[in-house]
Amino acid sequence: MQAKNAHSSSFRDPSGYIFVDNGEIKRTINPIYFNQYNALTKSGFYNNLFKNDLLIPHEEVSNSEQEIILKAEKIPFVTYPYEWSFNMYKEAALLTLKLQKYSLEKGFSLKDATAFNVTFHKGKAIFIDTLSFDFYLENSPWRAYKQFITHFFGPLLLAHYHGAQSLKLLSNFIDGIPVKMIRSMLPFKTKLSPILYSNIHLLAKLEDKHNEDYKGEAKEASLSKKGQLNIIQSLYDYIKKLELKEHSEWGNYYDKTNYTDDAFIKKSEIINTWINTIQPERLIDIGGNDGTFVRKLNSAVKTALVCDIDNNAVDFNHKTMKLNKEQNMLPFVLDVLNPSAAIGLNNKERDSFLDRIEAFAPEATLALAVIHHMSLSGNVPFSESAKFFSSFSKHLIIEFPKREDSWVQRLLNNKADFKDHFGFYNLDNFISAYSNEFEILEQKEIEGSKRVIFLLRKKS
Amino acid sequence: MTFLYFDPGLGAMIIQAIIAAVAGVVLFSKNLMYKIKVFLGMAKPIEDDVFDDIDIEDSDIESNNSKES
Repeated sequence: MQAKNAHSSSFRDPSGYIFVDNGEIKRTINPIYFNQYNALTKSGFYNNLFKNDLLIPHEEVSNSEQEIILKAEKIPFVTYPYEWSFNMYKEAALLTLKLQKYSLEKGFSLKDATAFNVTFHKGKAIFIDTLSFDFYLENSPWRAYKQFITHFFGPLLLAHYHGAQSLKLLSNFIDGIPVKMIRSMLPFKTKLSPILYSNIHLLAKLEDKHNEDYKGEAKEASLSKKGQLNIIQSLYDYIKKLELKEHSEWGNYYDKTNYTDDAFIKKSEIINTWINTIQPERLIDIGGNDGTFVRKLNSAVKTALVCDIDNNAVDFNHKTMKLNKEQNMLPFVLDVLNPSAAIGLNNKERDSFLDRIEAFAPEATLALAVIHHMSLSGNVPFSESAKFFSSFSKHLIIEFPKREDSWVQRLLNNKADFKDHFGFYNLDNFISAYSNEFEILEQKEIEGSKRVIFLLRKKS
Repeated sequence: MTFLYFDPGLGAMIIQAIIAAVAGVVLFSKNLMYKIKVFLGMAKPIEDDVFDDIDIEDSDIESNNSKES
């Protein structure tokens, strides 16, 4: 049943599969799902979700007795759950619950609730698995309930109690964090909360008990629709109120740096002039903090990826986007020293950051105030960071803080006795290493600071 | 309903009845508390809320249906 060219992530659901055809994203539906598909289409279910920007839009390109083929709107850059900030994760969880409630009201039900069914597009979380909707069977419990807990509720709770770093766990647990593990990591007081006790502690206990049931003798459980709606509504309310406890270390980054306001404006003027000559449609800002510099661009960039290692900065960016209703920016969490790897079956189910960014092919890359962190905190030699940037960027706008810069001084002082080993950190070495990969188009001192900014073009 | 390609967890299926009951009580009491707070003038407005309500706008489906019928 599986086609040869099915996408490597699309093998779990027998209802159909995704394939890439001349750069377009297409979806084959197998006869096993025809009834569902027709019902969802004819009732206007799909259409209403498209209109509300909740499901990725598709159009039917062919319809035969063997298969139906859909063409889906292409998402320029797919982010994965382990790259989302806390509130992005929250938005994805709420979207899933919203869809399940809506489905139930229309006589359908989500048959799975993995976090990988959601991604971000045009400033919003969007559901991308068109074939996840099935008919609702009267009085049947939600089959994807446990998946929702292990993919969404559990990780969000762990982030609440242990910090946003916990969200990265999903890169090791592609099928969700085991309930037992979530339970073991929650503090004792969570047993006193009725919602947490029932959804986590009791669930873990019962799952444990029924693990032994090899013969499958236990009878099918039943649950009224009203009951299921209660679960969904209570989880929605709980998740909506969930917050992070930690405060951002970078939150007020721009207040802490050694920029004079004047230098800040100079820097953004230089960047604007260069970006206006490149006129990029696609751009990535590495270490883009809360998107401040991308917001200062006056040329219209169609898709601007803004990544940062700090979950809080990404979160702040996400919130600003929501409040301003911006659509062209896509924030996500990325550690340049350890970018997301390819994971899953054959290591092909979820693509690595490098594969995705190469396919995205940004015309311009911004790397402002990152090189000193890579070189001095991460001990990455200039030649290696140059290779990293050149693997995906056509044009690179990179800022180099000189040794005299106060941030650089601070980082060097942290090295204590090893300070001397970082003698390589100077402008000449930087230029010579980057010249191997790039051609230097322009170089400007930022007045009022100890920083130099470069416009580089990748050598062909 | 097509067959499942992942394990929904038997425990997770059985327990949903209990969770639903707990959820029902929680929702009812929260709702009651809210009504009391509104009555006493203590309900706080929500600030900076970027997340919507759980309900999805439905007008389009109805207009579709009326066109078809």
